[in-house]
Amino acid sequence: MMRALAISGFLASLAFFAVLEWLARRDGSRIPTLGEMCAYVMRYEVGPVPVGRIGLFGFWWWLGWHFLAR
Amino acid sequence: MEQPRELTVEAPRAWDRPTFSIPVLACLSLVGGRFASFSTEANLYVLGTGGLLIWLGLSNRVPRRPAPTRLGSGAAWWVLPIVVFGVFEGVTFVVAAGDDFPTFSRLADPLLEGQLIRSVAWFAWLGAFWELVRR
Repeated sequence: MMRALAISGFLASLAFFAVLEWLARRDGSRIPTLGEMCAYVMRYEVGPVPVGRIGLFGFWWWLGWHFLAR
Repeated sequence: MEQPRELTVEAPRAWDRPTFSIPVLACLSLVGGRFASFSTEANLYVLGTGGLLIWLGLSNRVPRRPAPTRLGSGAAWWVLPIVVFGVFEGVTFVVAAGDDFPTFSRLADPLLEGQLIRSVAWFAWLGAFWELVRR
């Protein structure tokens, strides 16, 4: 029962991601695509340090290590 | 004769085209899919490919697409799937009930044992990483 709940929750969140991306790609949509969201986050800088870029790259690197290496 | 700057378009470099990048990423993914979890090879390969992409992304060697200066009013909708995922991942992690109430990683691990699905996951990870580098 709890296992089914966890699987349903994760599938629901992944479905939300897919539906939002589909909605964002329609003409005239006010929802930005996931790529635009990432690009916006990566613009964040503190002085000369591209904090947003480093943070997102670091997160994605960790994700790959977590699922594909460890 | 020199063309006015506004009339010239910079041609994409050969290695920046999908006809080049997709086969390269596919080859890298097939190699990555051969390395089992927890192996030294897998760790080194993730460190190497990820490190190379981070280096490319932080240097100015790859042309970037223009980033939006403002987000549309619907940007807040993205909070919804992130929160749903975060709540389930957080609760399953804290409860630590193993297979009875598994985390996302625990659910994904058996799927990623197969070489084909592992290579597909590698391709998704590298492809998304390459897209981030070019943003």
